[in-house]
Amino acid sequence: MHELSIVDALIEQVKETLDRSDERGRVLRLELRIGRLSGVSSQSLRFAVELLAPGTSVEGAEVVIREPKAVCNCHACHAQVEIDELVVECPKCGSDDVSIEGGRDLILQSIEVEE
Amino acid sequence: MRIVAAKKILKANDQLAAENRARLDAAGVFGLNVVGSPGAGKTTLLESLFAKLKGRLRPAVIEGDIAGSIDADRMEQIGVPVVQVNTDGACHLDANMIAAAGQELDLNEVDLLAIENVGNLVCTAGFDLGEHLRIVVLSTSEGDDKAVKYPAIFQGSDALFITKIDLLPHLNFRVERIAADLRRLNPNAVVFQVSAVRGDGIAEAADWLAQRCSKRPR
Repeated sequence: MHELSIVDALIEQVKETLDRSDERGRVLRLELRIGRLSGVSSQSLRFAVELLAPGTSVEGAEVVIREPKAVCNCHACHAQVEIDELVVECPKCGSDDVSIEGGRDLILQSIEVEE
Repeated sequence: MRIVAAKKILKANDQLAAENRARLDAAGVFGLNVVGSPGAGKTTLLESLFAKLKGRLRPAVIEGDIAGSIDADRMEQIGVPVVQVNTDGACHLDANMIAAAGQELDLNEVDLLAIENVGNLVCTAGFDLGEHLRIVVLSTSEGDDKAVKYPAIFQGSDALFITKIDLLPHLNFRVERIAADLRRLNPNAVVFQVSAVRGDGIAEAADWLAQRCSKRPR
């Protein structure tokens, strides 16, 4: 459910970015980076955009979501494994001496505006 | 025309949180964000801790609830200054709500500002409020598998308070299981086992909190 407040913040970010640029055209596309471990569901996020976009600058824009994976670094077997969800053990050797990197991005990457 | 923004979507919240933290620092107030499910015992834990800290620290509370003022009424009854924030449906507090609520308190009369978040193990994880310390409250009746099922909240918290340990004989909650899961997710987190009705662990937890508070900037 917190996707609603995230989209609220997103719309505000888009507006701010546009205000600071010279672009006055319609927003065609938004590119977001929502990491797999960010705790945000892309599906809910799209739904929240549908609910909140009407009447704002992002109304009608296509939303492209990239979902970068995280990496599990194992300090026992030195494997580096890409993961979609949080693990507490190395998927290769089962050691719990692991550290997780990345996958937590919640980023507005770019805005494409009509010329 | 493609405009590269490359900005954190929650940048506005993070900035406001930093402002909240600076405001607390300037007033010498220690901010504590209390998260956990509905019914985990967050309010009861605060009541017990405040009773133990009486005379040592001056507490105040921001109560976050979707609706109503039941928890704020409880704080008023024990004489703790309180501001009720109703989120009108939102499942978490954000830094903006705390900035507004903070204006209602005289921070010069406060040492410890506890922010009781909306009961929720998911959405509260993503929003920095400007606190100095975050504790997650989990009651024994919720089950010992919750750290693995809701990793974000357990990874981002400084301590786990396992509440209602007086119920352990009636449940198959294994303290060692959740403690082991937490060690893997968040090796630096401290674990407290408490029972507000029997008083177990409350003195120890209150001492720890007082010690953390004493390290705040003045």
